[in-house]
Amino acid sequence: MTAVVETEGLTKFYGRRKGLEDLTLQIQPGEVFGYLGPNGAGKTTTIRLLLDVIRPTSGRATVFGADTRDTAVRGRIGYPPGELALEGRERAHDFLTFMADVRGGVSRGRIDELAERLDADLSIRMGQLSKGNRQKVGLIQAFMHEPELLILDEPTSGLDPLVQHEFLAMVREVRTAGRTVLMSSHVLAEVENVADRVGIVRAGRLVAVEDVAALRERAVRHVEFHFDAPVPKEAFEDLLGVRDVTVEGASLRCTIDGRPDALIKAAAKFTVVHMVSSEPDLEEIFLTYYSEEAPRAHAGA
Amino acid sequence: MPTLVRKTLGEYRRSVIGWLIGISAFLSLYLSIYPSIRSNPEFYQQAALSKYPGPLKDLMGGLADIASGSGYLQTVVYQLLVPLLLIMCAMTLGTRAIAVPEEQGTLELTMTLPIDRRRLVLDRWAAFALSLLAVALVTLILVLALAAVGDLKVPAGNIVAAHAGLFLIAFFFGTLALTLGAATGKRAFALAVGGGYAVAGYVIETLGKSVDAISWLRWVSPFHYYLDGRPVFQGWPVGDYLVILGATAVLAMTAVLAFERRDVGV
Repeated sequence: MTAVVETEGLTKFYGRRKGLEDLTLQIQPGEVFGYLGPNGAGKTTTIRLLLDVIRPTSGRATVFGADTRDTAVRGRIGYPPGELALEGRERAHDFLTFMADVRGGVSRGRIDELAERLDADLSIRMGQLSKGNRQKVGLIQAFMHEPELLILDEPTSGLDPLVQHEFLAMVREVRTAGRTVLMSSHVLAEVENVADRVGIVRAGRLVAVEDVAALRERAVRHVEFHFDAPVPKEAFEDLLGVRDVTVEGASLRCTIDGRPDALIKAAAKFTVVHMVSSEPDLEEIFLTYYSEEAPRAHAGA
Repeated sequence: MPTLVRKTLGEYRRSVIGWLIGISAFLSLYLSIYPSIRSNPEFYQQAALSKYPGPLKDLMGGLADIASGSGYLQTVVYQLLVPLLLIMCAMTLGTRAIAVPEEQGTLELTMTLPIDRRRLVLDRWAAFALSLLAVALVTLILVLALAAVGDLKVPAGNIVAAHAGLFLIAFFFGTLALTLGAATGKRAFALAVGGGYAVAGYVIETLGKSVDAISWLRWVSPFHYYLDGRPVFQGWPVGDYLVILGATAVLAMTAVLAFERRDVGV
């Protein structure tokens, strides 16, 4: 099976500044690939290389088996930019019609259908769209031609929660239809519900590619238990994957790496009144990968 | 018509109308006062010469025979001011082809469409050319009409020839701005370099006629191929016009090649 996206040693320098270094990656058909990293890590650089807006310093990238320079490739991609700039007096609907025409036309009513779904007002002039509406226009033009590959760059930043919900549903539909998605984000929570695999990029380098399930297992969580009576600290020491244990009377604070199983079993011996578990902090996952970077980095399915 | 050309024409429309109104107002104002100049030729000829002494006179194109229809038309329309306006119009439109949308960030989305980069530049250039042509044609009709009403006694064929040169010189500088914008993505740079070349080119061509030190430079000035043939008086300087047209084609090709190999929006 040909990979939908395949890069080999893909490298981009802006003058002396490194944008992306030696990216080797494969995204398979039907896969939803989450591309995670802090701002400035190289996510947008990768995406712009795949779209042929910028050209690699070295290495190569193919999409659907063809070089990214091949114009026809972009006909099969849908892409809403992270920072979408729209200007001018043209009405949003006319602009979308233009985009559709260049793409060889989309089925009748498709634009209106998407607009209704996202609750976008397309009668507004492009230069006067609110940030939310601008994002919606970006989403509509990316989804309207039912592309085989969706490339989403920080797609939910600036969307209000209802639209975000609708948008994630649309991504899931794309996945159900067997099409491929590359979705970048700096928030794990944004991709973990839709992505099959996640690549983590940091300072221009891909440091890890993991199944989402595996990543979650490796995630660092802060956990708090409150019991009905003071507990002995010894009961929680030397548990697998549990560290930084502090006990203050009837409450326990600790950090877990990976599975919470051992901790839960230990806590079950007492009466638990209340429990707080923070969402895994991506920053800490980064730090985990950072410290053991090289050995775990592997790419491809 | 290709979709992108149509879309670009739409983007240019308001700007084109604005420039048309401005240039037409200028033409109407200046050509409508010709009858009062014709009725008192010695006075106005003398006034013009004393107002622009020495090199200034050369910059204004010599001011010879300003009270005649041809001399007046050359001085107020085809010598300096209308070329200046039309070149400004062309350079504004030219930078809006690539550099302005790139700086605004709107070009990126266009580039994610399945449009070849060469096609993108050529379509935008074609829309720029058509828009400028529209301004040139409407103003040509206006000059022909005003010349007839004011009885300038200039052959219509010569007016058409001069206006064609006017269009070509603006087309050249507009394409230059487009090319500089396509090569660098920087609007201010394109306008500064293009505008600087226009001013220098004009000065070299006009002053170069009487200053030997720079007269050898006249051949690098685009204005040389527009003004030297004196189309208002002598009709079509075909060879000169072909030089401008050829240079414009080379610029457009350069724009395509430069844009083809560059990172956009970095």
